[in-house]
Amino acid sequence: MPGTSTSPILSDYGFVALVLVMTFGLALIAAGLFLRAPRQWISAPPAWAQFRFGFVNYALIFLAFDMEMIFMYPWAVVFADIGISAFLDMLVFIALLGAGITYAWGMGGLEWE
Amino acid sequence: MGVIATSATVLAALGVGAALTWALERLFLQPRGEPGPAHTADLGRNLDIANSDRWLLPAGPVVALAGVALAMVVVPFGPDLIGRDLGIGVFYVIVVIDFVVLGVALAGWGADTPDSVEACYRIIAQLIAYVVPLGLAYVGVIMMARSLSTVAIVEAQSGLWFVVLQPIGFVLYLVTGLMQSYRAPFLEPFAVSIGGGVLGASGGWSALLWRIALAGVLFLVAAICAVLYLGGPNGPLLPGWAWMVVKTYGLMALMLWLGRAVRPLSTARMLELSWKILIPLGLLNVLLVGGIILLGIGPSRP
Amino acid sequence: MSEAFEIVAFIISAFIAIAGALGMTTTMSMFRSGIFLMASFIGVAGLFILLTADLIGVLQIMMYIGGFLVMIVFMVMVMHDPGGAMMAGMDMAFVERWFSKGLVPREPPHSGHSGDMHGAHGQEHRAHRRDSHPMPQGKAGDHRSHSVHHDEHAGDDHQSMQDMDNSGHAGHAAHHGNDKNGMDMGGMDMSMVTPVRPAAAWLAGAIGVVLVSMLLLRPTWRVVNAMPDPDSARRVGHLLMEKYMVAFEGAGFLILIGIFGAVLLARPSSHPDDPSRAARVAVAEKPEPIADDGLVPLPVPDKQTEHKEHHRSDGHGA
Repeated sequence: MPGTSTSPILSDYGFVALVLVMTFGLALIAAGLFLRAPRQWISAPPAWAQFRFGFVNYALIFLAFDMEMIFMYPWAVVFADIGISAFLDMLVFIALLGAGITYAWGMGGLEWE
Repeated sequence: MGVIATSATVLAALGVGAALTWALERLFLQPRGEPGPAHTADLGRNLDIANSDRWLLPAGPVVALAGVALAMVVVPFGPDLIGRDLGIGVFYVIVVIDFVVLGVALAGWGADTPDSVEACYRIIAQLIAYVVPLGLAYVGVIMMARSLSTVAIVEAQSGLWFVVLQPIGFVLYLVTGLMQSYRAPFLEPFAVSIGGGVLGASGGWSALLWRIALAGVLFLVAAICAVLYLGGPNGPLLPGWAWMVVKTYGLMALMLWLGRAVRPLSTARMLELSWKILIPLGLLNVLLVGGIILLGIGPSRP
Repeated sequence: MSEAFEIVAFIISAFIAIAGALGMTTTMSMFRSGIFLMASFIGVAGLFILLTADLIGVLQIMMYIGGFLVMIVFMVMVMHDPGGAMMAGMDMAFVERWFSKGLVPREPPHSGHSGDMHGAHGQEHRAHRRDSHPMPQGKAGDHRSHSVHHDEHAGDDHQSMQDMDNSGHAGHAAHHGNDKNGMDMGGMDMSMVTPVRPAAAWLAGAIGVVLVSMLLLRPTWRVVNAMPDPDSARRVGHLLMEKYMVAFEGAGFLILIGIFGAVLLARPSSHPDDPSRAARVAVAEKPEPIADDGLVPLPVPDKQTEHKEHHRSDGHGA
């Protein structure tokens, strides 16, 4: 049997890859269906230029919190098995991040420029 | 079922779900309000854009559709009706739905028109707004279910649904789910004021793919909400998939109705809402759920 | 059967990782560069999954989607030509031309032309380049073999080899700017097409060969028969809480410092009206070259003679 000596994870992600390939196939089929549709040409001023964003502050703090979320997922899985010590550890972690977000809020970092 | 048949079924389920979503959304369409992402893509003609990036622009809707299709793999429709029960199911869903954002960013940038590039920037702002609060809502559920697998989360709710134990998380998920699927009041990336964003820069086949992907995102968000908070396919009398359909579309109607009750938020307001209100709420939710679990309330150990 | 599947999966993941990295370094569009790096990391995630570390693999994808979109935000905020349209009309090596395929070249911003003439100019440029003969310079062997290979198969897209001659660059730049007075436009273009790229490509190839041979010639690797734990989320969680607790809290502290730094750096300046702080937000702004930076100015040939030489269609870029 082909599945027994591979780890189950590999066969799972092989299935995921199969779904992905089939999606690409469906997209190609859709492109083929529309081959004869009327084509319209539009032209617009090119827009690839330097741009001053308003959400730069949010983006920087988002990066920090994205890294925080990475730690929270594995912690959440084992939390109930470990009990209160895991809770205290995460309390410290959340306190650090809460301090960060309070600092950012107080210093005007959470503003749209 | 064989592997190919299973994956074809997953994709067919996505297609059916997206079509029913589109039909449901038409009920909520107001004549004077913003139509939102489901209704502004023109299927009639193919669109060529003068300065567009020939690789990135077609890649956008394909990546978005791939994201939605991949996420469909772990949605349980019944005791054995799931594409594949991945060990990291729920985490995988979060990551893969982010591919929709990536697809909109690719197509928005690739089209090289001022409107679509603006849509690209707005979608990045929307990603920054929704990811962290959504993750905090998920973390509460994962803590109670002790696993990332969707099947395990459904089984953990066989006693009591998580919506009762984690109401804050449920509200958080509803709000960030609307952000994630670009429906009112968070539809800035697809607003009429920028010509529908990437939908205005698409035509023909890419419009079809966009419609499927965007309807699929709303369907998936509602389906995962049903799994996380309403127990998924659990329920008396009806078979699992019927319950799943009822819960999914009920939640979708709830989200759309609540969303339309609020005026559309600008990107700045949305970011402020997310970072100043939702994230502190989310952190509070995590601490509360932790306390609840330590007190012994919640699903008992297997 | 399963081993064949593993080998195929490994080859595909490794190919995506390497091709993504190659695309990142050689494409002319910065946006595409970020996307190629993301694709490369998706290949690396595939390698993680092959090692049954699926949580880490998918976590990598999650981190990098957020990270690259934010990186693109900063790139667009800082760079002049994030889409590569101005660079797409330049002379490039074959690899770079391949990874920049699909970009429509356009005139530099202060050309005075309207938007829909850009396509026409792009056509004109491509037609001119087709007339010029390929000049294999033999500077980088693999590039030349690629261009020769390409010559056999495709009639158009002849690319003269990236040559060291500055006047060739100036000629091209002057051709780009032939109907306006922007000689400093040539200065800006040349900063991207540095003449050391073939040397850099050789060096990268040599380092790659050294690393791979070090890998292959090591003493035998120890093969362990144990099957890794398929529930990787639980394993990682336990490790974080038990063995790596200090690292966990230390990471939290590091993130806090990062937030402090971000807020400090992004604070509005106390001198917001200083003219040197103005960010260029429109394409039509003429970027100022840095004056008095101490470098020798590049030889810039006379615009008129360059024009006449070009129209003689001997092929330019000698």
